[in-house]
Amino acid sequence: MKYRFEIIPSLCIGCRTCELACAFSHAKDKKPGRSRIYPLAYAPDKYVPVVCLQCDDPACVKSCMFNALKRNEETGAIDLDEERCVKCMACVAACPFGCAMVDAGHDEIVKCDICKGNPACVQFCPTKALVYNKV
Amino acid sequence: MAHITINGKVVKAHEGEMLLAVIKRLGIDVPALCNHEAIEPTGNCRLCMVEITRPEWEGWKKNVTSCLYPVEDGLIVNTHTPELLEIRKTLLDLQLARCPNSELIQKMAEEYGVHETSYIANVEGDNCIMCYACTRICEVLGKSAISAVMRGQKKVIAPPFGEEPVDCIGCLACAQICPTDVIPYEDKDGIRTIWKKKFELVTCKNCGKTIVTRDFADYLIEQRRIPHEYFETCDDCKRLELAKKMGGLITKAAEVAV
Repeated sequence: MKYRFEIIPSLCIGCRTCELACAFSHAKDKKPGRSRIYPLAYAPDKYVPVVCLQCDDPACVKSCMFNALKRNEETGAIDLDEERCVKCMACVAACPFGCAMVDAGHDEIVKCDICKGNPACVQFCPTKALVYNKV
Repeated sequence: MAHITINGKVVKAHEGEMLLAVIKRLGIDVPALCNHEAIEPTGNCRLCMVEITRPEWEGWKKNVTSCLYPVEDGLIVNTHTPELLEIRKTLLDLQLARCPNSELIQKMAEEYGVHETSYIANVEGDNCIMCYACTRICEVLGKSAISAVMRGQKKVIAPPFGEEPVDCIGCLACAQICPTDVIPYEDKDGIRTIWKKKFELVTCKNCGKTIVTRDFADYLIEQRRIPHEYFETCDDCKRLELAKKMGGLITKAAEVAV
């Protein structure tokens, strides 16, 4: 893995710009997609951007009976192969952090793919709470 | 890497991958109903027929199902010859006779100029095109709960003896993969009904949201060694939990720093 996606919650102000950036960068058929990142409040006015952690021992990959989820060695992300996905929701149920989700608008399963190595949320984060750096 | 010619254009492709995958990657519109990446191709719908030839064949050509034909170096492929269009038209005409009520088939037939079937339409039948995608995906899952029963005109996809399928775990893969959406299912009050069998859905202990059936969750826990705690709450609650957990760590770290 050459890159690391870092989250610095202390810098997050909960502006949800990342959500918008994510939804619009994953737009399909002129419709924004479901955001893969959510800044959630753990205390009043204190936020943590919750996004897929691309685990070392991922439950989503283990749960997929059709091998639709695979580690992308280039970006380090776990990519979902939409052509192979059957939408059985195994990954949605199995992810211990709830970061595999259902996009009802596009009728598909979504999970963070780090935008194939160029994350939109990182570019738009005004306080640099999200960082994508070379290790 | 193999080099093949598709509609007069030389393209690179991996040796051994199927022709349909290359055609789709190029964005060429070749219809296919029963093809899915998760299952082995079987060429049941036959709509993805293409014409192949090689220079050394001296003008000989043949029509093959592209989903089943592996890429070979030097292959010359044509996807829209008049003969192929006629074949596809006939196939869609036949499909339309079999499932006149399917919107997808109607739309595809319309594209090939078939507005009404020239055969006797099977008005009372369901929209199943007998592509076996459902049985094949069930096999991939390791269950094989459904299969084709009877022969000829009476052939249908059904669980053994038409009873509740013993091996079915209610994962919905068959209903999701079906190109014409003929497998009915219902999620209601925490119960999923498919193939007339009732399944208990795993309910989130915090908010009551349901995602998968208890049987499917148990299957994943057993087969893939996923801890059963992962299935107790829904994705929304798990994200919130993660935020709170991380928040707790931040608060603790701040206290230590002070």
